[in-house]
Amino acid sequence: MNKRVISVIAIIALITTGLFANGSSELSFFTGKVETIDLLNSIINDFNAQETEFSVSQEYQKDASNIIKVKFASGEVPDIMTTYEQAYVDQGKYLDLSNESWWNRLVPSMRDNCTDIKTGKQYRVCTNMTMAGLFYNKDIFDELGLKTATTWDEFVANLEVIKRERPDVTPLFLPGKEAWSLGHWIEFVPHGYLKQTLGPIESKLAMLNNESDKLNFADPNGAMVEFARNIVELQEKGLINSDVLSATADNRTEAFLSGQTAMFSDGMWALGGILATEPDMNIGFAPYPAYMPNSKPVVLSAEDSGYSISASSTNIEGAKKFLNYLFSAENMKKYSEALGSPSAFKDVDAAWAPDGFRKEVKQVLNSASNIGFTNEKPAGFSGDDAGRMVQDLLAGTYTPEEFGVAYQKAWNNGF
Amino acid sequence: MKKRIDGIQLMSIPAALLYGIFFIFPLVQGIRLSFTDWDGMGKAVFVGFSNYVEFFSDSRALGDIKTTVFFAIGSALLLNLVGLSYALLMKNKFKLQDFVRVVIYLPAIISPLIMGYIWYFLLQPGRGFMYRAAEFFNTTIAWNWMGAYSYTIIVLILVNVWQYSGMTMIIYLAGLQSIPRELYESARIDGASKSQIFSKVTIPLLVPSIRINVVTNIIGSLSVFDIIMSLTEGGPGYSTESLSIYIMRMCYGNKTGYSTAVAMILFVLILVPVIVSFKFTKSRS
Repeated sequence: MNKRVISVIAIIALITTGLFANGSSELSFFTGKVETIDLLNSIINDFNAQETEFSVSQEYQKDASNIIKVKFASGEVPDIMTTYEQAYVDQGKYLDLSNESWWNRLVPSMRDNCTDIKTGKQYRVCTNMTMAGLFYNKDIFDELGLKTATTWDEFVANLEVIKRERPDVTPLFLPGKEAWSLGHWIEFVPHGYLKQTLGPIESKLAMLNNESDKLNFADPNGAMVEFARNIVELQEKGLINSDVLSATADNRTEAFLSGQTAMFSDGMWALGGILATEPDMNIGFAPYPAYMPNSKPVVLSAEDSGYSISASSTNIEGAKKFLNYLFSAENMKKYSEALGSPSAFKDVDAAWAPDGFRKEVKQVLNSASNIGFTNEKPAGFSGDDAGRMVQDLLAGTYTPEEFGVAYQKAWNNGF
Repeated sequence: MKKRIDGIQLMSIPAALLYGIFFIFPLVQGIRLSFTDWDGMGKAVFVGFSNYVEFFSDSRALGDIKTTVFFAIGSALLLNLVGLSYALLMKNKFKLQDFVRVVIYLPAIISPLIMGYIWYFLLQPGRGFMYRAAEFFNTTIAWNWMGAYSYTIIVLILVNVWQYSGMTMIIYLAGLQSIPRELYESARIDGASKSQIFSKVTIPLLVPSIRINVVTNIIGSLSVFDIIMSLTEGGPGYSTESLSIYIMRMCYGNKTGYSTAVAMILFVLILVPVIVSFKFTKSRS
């Protein structure tokens, strides 16, 4: 009997000791970036090998932006995270990183993108820049003698030539089953127009304060309704894939790789997967064409891969020490090449894509209006929700004018 | 005189504790939260019945009720019909009977999420396996089941029935095997026809199995999540979104208090047919 009691006590003691020992010496890092898991594991292993006081462990979750809410609600907040929400900034959940030395090494515009509009402080450091625009098959464009479009009319004309001359090719592929992909069109085209015309700060404030006279979502002559008309026009003319409502992003990539589609819209994060399968594919990059009077073509040029430290972390110095290690030029070069997007650090020279493609991206960035992501959207109306509304538009549930009214209503309800 | 606690009562304490911790406590907390505007992070402020009022004035939410109820009724009806038919077939001995039973039951043990993705690969309009197979035989399937709500919801119900009819079959089979042979023999001696035996002997004695199947199918179908998420993600738009998916999306959309109110509505929605089913089958039995 005594032996049993002693064994039980010993087991309990072992478990509790293990739990507490683990809790005090481990620094948790939470991410939703699937592209960098392996690289970060390798960097973390190298860091842990030289660090004696604590160790870093990585947790990846596909649905990180939602799971972090559960973590915050349950008090199990990671020390370092790549997820960032305006609501948490407002609640003081992130550590103020404004005075860290990293900023001297960063491209100045990236610091602006990382700045909280309300406080003027920085609660995250982005390691990379990302762009989104139209990827196209250069071989098909060269074969048909096409040039990338700067206006919507030119864009439609290009797609019509592809449809006429190459009937086996889908001119533009929309993977519409995935609401986020259609949400991106809203984000980059009509929202892009607002950012371009109002300016980066003014547009953020207009969205944050829901200034409907500036946003004009329901205006029949506004950017949102005009965008809806254009998307419906593409569908009616057969310039997009007929299975738009059931096609996935994988279908799109397959179609692009096999030459069955000439164009698609996405961010640089899509490039890695394509080049991994076809490293020599002749890919071009173009901005979203101008579609409103007196506007310019638009390209997303935004911060990517932002790192924040929890304000409630018990090992803030350790978290900074790890980020210092991660942000070294050597690690950032590897990171940039693994992610397939240019580094935000000025002292990092990475071959993140083939030379020709990088040159074309640079040209686009210089010629088009550069816009950032909309972090000021209402919390209850996500990009996914916007994409679902475009699904309804393509399914014929709305006319373009009704779409504008419904979008305005959904936006208002999201606050 | 004090009543002494006997051994059986004592042994029920752990179960009662678990029930209290994992059902009663969350239910009470849920009811409390449903009257607040909690966003999952900040302070919860009491807002009375406004979450419930908002739900019944939201066209998306009402559409989700329609989808959920239609899916549940369609699934429960078909599951019981198909499950009973399978059970009647499996009641009689035949070659490879055990193998066929396993094949019918097998889908029920596979995750509905995985099953949904597999069916999507099979049925995807214009690209799926069925489409490619038809192409191979020089024909085409032009039917786009994701193009219209009525088609999409029918496909969702059929996939659900395909997955869970084996489970329904097992319960009916157990019910059928527990009916004494003598009853069938005496009915036959009395001159009853096959259809009379089925309606006057088999069905009345299957009432407990019917009750279990109807109740479990309704509960399962009203809280459907995985199959819809993997096949249509509730789309196009929100046309095939179920209440469970709506609750999840609202909760992650910083409307935790509201989503809890919707969960309470779903709880009542499930409770009503379950009570009706119990009352009805109790009087029949």
